[in-house]
Amino acid sequence: MVEKLEKLLAVKDISKSYVGVQALDRVSLSINRGEIHCLVGENGSGKSTLIKIISGVVKPDEGEIIINGKRFQSLHAIDSISEGIQVIYQDLSLFPNLSIAENISLNQMIERKKRFISWKEIKNIAEREFSNISKELDLDEKVENISIANKQLVAICRALTQDAQLIIMDEPTTAITKREIDCLFSVILDLKKRGISTLFVSHKLSEVLQISNKVTVIRDGKLVGVYNTEGLDHNTLSFYMSGKKIVDSVLDYREKEGQKEPLLEVKNLSKKGNFQDINFKVCSGEIVGITGILGSGRTEIALSLFGLNRPDSGEIYIDGKLAKIKSPQDAIELGLSYLPEDRLNQGLFIKQSIGNNIVVTILQRLLNRFKLFDNSKKYEAAKEWIEELNVITPSLETAAQALSGGNQQRVVIAKWLATDPKVFILNGPTVGIDVASKSNIHNIIKGLANKGMGVIIISDEIPEIIWNCNRIIVIREGRIVKKLNTNEVTEDKLLDILARKSN
Amino acid sequence: MVKNNRSFKIQKLLKQNETYLFLVIITYSIFITSLNSSFLSLENLFDLGKSSAGMGIMAIGVFIVLLSGGIDISFTAIAISGQYIAANVLIASGVDNIFFAFLISCLVGVALGAINGLLISYFKIPTLITTLGTASVFHGALLTIVGTKAINSAQLPDCFKAFGAKNLLILTKPNGINYGLSIFIIIFILLALLTWLILKYTMLGRGIYAIGGDIDSAERSGFNIAKIQFFIYCYVGFLAGIAGVLHISLIRYSNPTYIVGTELSVIAAVVLGGTRITGGSGTIIGTIMGVAMVTILNNSLILVGLSSYWQNFFVGLIIIISVSITSYQSKRSIGNIVFRR
Repeated sequence: MVEKLEKLLAVKDISKSYVGVQALDRVSLSINRGEIHCLVGENGSGKSTLIKIISGVVKPDEGEIIINGKRFQSLHAIDSISEGIQVIYQDLSLFPNLSIAENISLNQMIERKKRFISWKEIKNIAEREFSNISKELDLDEKVENISIANKQLVAICRALTQDAQLIIMDEPTTAITKREIDCLFSVILDLKKRGISTLFVSHKLSEVLQISNKVTVIRDGKLVGVYNTEGLDHNTLSFYMSGKKIVDSVLDYREKEGQKEPLLEVKNLSKKGNFQDINFKVCSGEIVGITGILGSGRTEIALSLFGLNRPDSGEIYIDGKLAKIKSPQDAIELGLSYLPEDRLNQGLFIKQSIGNNIVVTILQRLLNRFKLFDNSKKYEAAKEWIEELNVITPSLETAAQALSGGNQQRVVIAKWLATDPKVFILNGPTVGIDVASKSNIHNIIKGLANKGMGVIIISDEIPEIIWNCNRIIVIREGRIVKKLNTNEVTEDKLLDILARKSN
Repeated sequence: MVKNNRSFKIQKLLKQNETYLFLVIITYSIFITSLNSSFLSLENLFDLGKSSAGMGIMAIGVFIVLLSGGIDISFTAIAISGQYIAANVLIASGVDNIFFAFLISCLVGVALGAINGLLISYFKIPTLITTLGTASVFHGALLTIVGTKAINSAQLPDCFKAFGAKNLLILTKPNGINYGLSIFIIIFILLALLTWLILKYTMLGRGIYAIGGDIDSAERSGFNIAKIQFFIYCYVGFLAGIAGVLHISLIRYSNPTYIVGTELSVIAAVVLGGTRITGGSGTIIGTIMGVAMVTILNNSLILVGLSSYWQNFFVGLIIIISVSITSYQSKRSIGNIVFRR
């Protein structure tokens, strides 16, 4: 291995501007063989542009790219691939209708310009690559039937079949569970042993600190610095990333005088296979955190409250009155709102305008006296919420998909606030959102509670729970295992409770 | 690798649409035979095969298009164009040769298919809109440019009649009347086989599956989308051309307004055969069974004594039921995924 260059990839002083916007300004990045390198930056900092330049999809305006010691004047996608650079995009680019084996092997076949298919060869290639990752999966299974984490492994295997030297993973951990992340990390470490480098693009700092050897931070298209992961901590990295010190403060909640009736009370709620004997109350001005690992039943409880997952038994009281919630319409009428975990598919009509997204919950109220839709009312309503929640957008007509994660989430929050809810259930309110927007969303939530709304935050991010909730309910295997006041716990203690196996 | 290989295979079989369709066909055939014993006779089956071969060949084309995530409703217009032009050319030129008829019909088919392919692959017009438009253009052009006069049996070149009567295997009934296995069935089987080979063993075929599964991923993987789409619509045109010749040879008559209007029942047969209308999934065996089901249904209604107008009703009903079952099943499995998370 001596004859091989230590340095696999170096990009120097890369600049790129799109009409009027400087996406990248003299950014450099270098990756050694077998290195796990993280590229961090907030949404819109230029991470994706940089990846596209490295993969040859976008041409830089200035700067040089050196791969395996070769200097490329203009790098084409095909050069990048033949130098062993493989990008695994967030959508993974797999074929859901084809088998795992074919998904792994097909790209290699295309690259070799094969005209005919040998199924034996497909299977052999897939088996060879998959055995390295050592996962017990039926290679004949269709990809649409496997979990996202397994799809990721398939995408990695596919990259390996094309002699990958460097695998670039764009935000690979957004949609997978903690356990699956651990599995992914062990695969990445394994690749490192084989001398394959990984460029891990993320804004989840704890993961960055856990997996990487080196971190390159960019902000607003400029290089902030390159750091060894040893010696970095969460706060420093967060500061490098956002350029701001983010101060978390514990919510100061005092029970209001004379308030007896809780806004929401759940009694003995059970659903077979989902959850058992769930009891809790949410009072006005309170933020209750529900936490538990994925699959613990936390989402199912929320869905039941919102009429999307009918419980077998138990009662739900709203304002002290027994509530029959059979559908989301019932739930909304009773004053409940639910922000789903999957913002892109369930929270938004992603291709519709921001204005339309906001008013979708209150269309009834926007009718004029002929019961026809009044566009000026819509405009007023949407504008009010955009200003109230500080959504940064060129116009109300902009499609929701054009916004950053943080702004999208504010649109979802706006949409529900428009219904004037009594109790707001937020499931993973800051999933896939950068640090600065995160704290902004947390402030919005706290503000709502201060105005008297009852809030439930469902999350597996411990800091999010600790810093925002008054009370914490821990769910494990569908049961409440612990109810705590926030001032009684620390992050470590809560993690400990979460991770403990049932005894 | 997998311990319970056998029960695993059975489980997989039970998941497949084809298995159910097969069982339905068998049960239904037994039911009809109990009402009219001539139904399951070899003669009737051969007859059914012959009369449905043309539809089957068009169904193969539709199958490929649906597989790629598109839809084609112009294939019937292409089939009748191929047929009517071929018949006219044969009459005008005096060449009485069935291969020449096939050549002309297929050339017309591929040419018209290429127009579809070009519009879809190059101009990226949605397939439904494209073929809706071209169906009308093709048929309109045929009627205005080539003509509207029907060609009757007396005017029809003999090669068509001879071809229509050609049997490969001749059997004799107890009462002395001959019947046989029509060459139509062989052509259908060969085309089904050819299509299966293309889909299963060529990069082109896997590309068709790939773009039906996820067209963006296919592009990123390096498939030439335009080329694949162009091929698909040319191939559909080619198949329609063959179906056109079979049709004229079967009924010994050509009317330029025939065939057009049957496209929905062909598409229905393919969907009934388990091909996903959103693309990416389906099998040729399923398609053949879908065509068989529709044919048997049609034929049996007459045997049972119901008017053939009931055919539309029953085919529609069966499609709604079968698609409902499939969608209910997938809804349930999606539900499971949600709760597993």
